Amino acid sequence: MENEGNGNCSIFGMGIEGSEMNCFFNTNSMDQKDLFESALSSIVSSPSNSHHAVQFPCVGVGGGGESIVLRELIGRLGSICNSSEINGNNSSNNSCYNTPLNSPPKVVNMSITGHHQFPVDPSRFSTFGGKNELSHVIESGKLSRVSSNQSFKKMNKLSMELDESSVSETETGTGNGIGVKGQSNNANGRKRKVVAKGKGKETNAKDDKVVTEVEKEESDAKRSKSNEEKKSNEKSTEPPKDYIHVRARRGQATDSHSLAERVRREKISERMKFLQDLVPGCNKVTGKAVMLDEIINYVQSLQRQVEFLSMKLATVNPRMDASMEALLSKDMFQPQVSMPNIANPFDTSAQSFPYGFQSQLNGMVPDRPENQFSMNPLMAAMHRNSVIKPPHIDGFIEASTLWENDLQSVVKMALGQDQSQGFLGQMKVEL
Amino acid sequence: MHTCSKLKREFTKKWVKGLQICCSSKKNIDIMERKKKIKLCADIALASAKNATTSWSIALISEAKKNDESAILVDSLIGPESAFKQQKTMCHNKRVRSKKILKKSCGISQRMKKMGRPHKSSNLATYIAKRLVKKRTQVLQRLVPGGEAMDEVSLIKEALDYILSLRVQVDVMRSLANATEALNQSNIS
Repeated sequence: MENEGNGNCSIFGMGIEGSEMNCFFNTNSMDQKDLFESALSSIVSSPSNSHHAVQFPCVGVGGGGESIVLRELIGRLGSICNSSEINGNNSSNNSCYNTPLNSPPKVVNMSITGHHQFPVDPSRFSTFGGKNELSHVIESGKLSRVSSNQSFKKMNKLSMELDESSVSETETGTGNGIGVKGQSNNANGRKRKVVAKGKGKETNAKDDKVVTEVEKEESDAKRSKSNEEKKSNEKSTEPPKDYIHVRARRGQATDSHSLAERVRREKISERMKFLQDLVPGCNKVTGKAVMLDEIINYVQSLQRQVEFLSMKLATVNPRMDASMEALLSKDMFQPQVSMPNIANPFDTSAQSFPYGFQSQLNGMVPDRPENQFSMNPLMAAMHRNSVIKPPHIDGFIEASTLWENDLQSVVKMALGQDQSQGFLGQMKVEL
Repeated sequence: MHTCSKLKREFTKKWVKGLQICCSSKKNIDIMERKKKIKLCADIALASAKNATTSWSIALISEAKKNDESAILVDSLIGPESAFKQQKTMCHNKRVRSKKILKKSCGISQRMKKMGRPHKSSNLATYIAKRLVKKRTQVLQRLVPGGEAMDEVSLIKEALDYILSLRVQVDVMRSLANATEALNQSNIS
C-alpha cells in the first residue's frame, strides 16, 4: 500500500519527466492507479487533446471529488511539463499556461461549481485534507490563468497536495482505518507547503527519495525566486542600479519598455548623484526613496528658513525702507569694509547652516569679494543716509547719529560678535 | 559658485526694489503682513532673477500674477524682460491642467490593473519601493512650485535648481537679517 502510495506520489512528482513515469507505471497494480496512470500517460503525451478523453475514465473511478482532483492534477501536470522548461521566461510561461490549462481548468471549474458539495466521503478523505485540496483545486484552477509565477507556485503546492490526496485515496480506498494516515499525510503535505517556498523537502520520508529530485527542481526555481525576492528585499534600500540588475535578470516582458525605463532610470540616477553633492548629508545615502526623502527635507527646511528670515526681517522692518532706498542709490559693488570682517558672517552663516555642509563652506569662501555687496551698501547707506532714517522708533534717531560716527567700527564689532553668538543658536533653535 | 554669486546679486537687487515698492507704500502694517510681503518680494525676486530659464520660476511668477497685489509687484520687477510672457504662462497652465487630468486617468487605470492582478510575492519588494518613491515624488511635486506638471526626471532637475536658488535666497536674507540685527544690538547697547 505504502509503496503504491509512493509510486503514485512519485508519478505526480515526476510528472515533469515523462519518461520516468512509465517505469513507475509498471510498478503499480491498483485499479485506480492503472486508470490514473493511463490517464496520465495520455495527458503527458498529448497535453491538449487528451484532456477530454481522460475525463471519462476518471469519472468512472470513484466519487466526483476524486475525478475532479484527478482532472485537475492532469491539467496541472500537463502544464508543469511545459513550465519546467521555461522557468525564467514569464512571457512564454503565460502563453504555455494558456493552452494546456484552458481546457482542464474550465472543465474542473464547471464540475466543481456544478457540485458545490464535494461528493467526498469523510471516510475516504480525511475531511480536513479533502476539503483543503478541493478548495485549493478551485483556487488554483481559477488563478492559473492569471499570473504565470503564481500559478507555477500554486501548481507546485497543488501537486504536493494532490500527492497527499492520492496517497489518502489509495490508502483509504483499501480500508477505513487509514484516515489517520491520510491526516498525517496531509499534515506532512502542509509542512511541505510551508517549507516549499524556502528550501528542500524533508517531510515525507516515503516520498522523499523519488519526489525530492523533481521537487528540488521546482523548489530550485522557487528558491531562486525567493532568493531574488530576498535580494530585492535587501536591496530595497540600496542604490537604484540594483533594481536594474534584478530586472535584467528576470527579463522584461517587453524590451522596448524596459529599455526606456532603464534610460529614464539612468538619467534619474545621474541627477541623483548631482543632488548628492548639493544636498548635504546625502553622500552615504543610497536608494531613490531615501534620496528623495532627503531632498524633500532639505527643500522644506530651506523654505522654513526663508519664512523665518522674512519674519525676522519684518521685525526690523521700520529701518528697511530707507536703507533700501539707500541701497538702490548706492553702487553695490564697492567694497568699503575689509574683507575678513565681511567674510566672517558668511562663514558663520555657512556654519550655522543646519547640515554643516562642508562643500558649501568651501563654496562660500571664494565668494568673499562678491558677497560684500550686500553688506557694504547697507552699511554705507546707513553711514551716509542717517538723516533719512525714518523716525519710527525714538531710539533710532540716536542710533543713526551713533552710526554716522562709529558705523564701521561698530559694524566690525558686531560682525565679529556674530561668530560666537546667536545666529548659530537661532538657526538651530528654529530648525 | 560663480553662478551663485551672480544670482545673489540679481536677487538682492530685485528684492530690494520690490521691498521698496511694497513696503514704502504703507507705514503701519501688521507684522505678519510685513513678513508676507517680504517673503513675497523675495520669492518673486528670486524667480525673476532666474529670467525664465527654469519652469519653477515660470510657475512661481504665473502664480503670483494671479493675485492682484503681487501682480503689480511682478510687473514692476520683471518689467523690461520679455521672458515671462503671458502666453507662456497661459500655455503652462493649460498644460498643467491637461496633464493633471491625464495623470488622474492614468493613475486610475494603473490602480485598476494592480487590483486586478494579484501581487507576485517576488515583486513585492520592488512594488513597495516603487510606491515609496512615488509618494515622495508627489510630496516633492507639491513643494517645488509648478511641480505637478513635471515628470520625474525634470522634477528632479527643477528641484535641484530650486534648491540652489532657495539657498541663495536664504543666504542673502540671512546676511541682511544678521546685519540689521547686529546694528540693532549695537544701537541698543
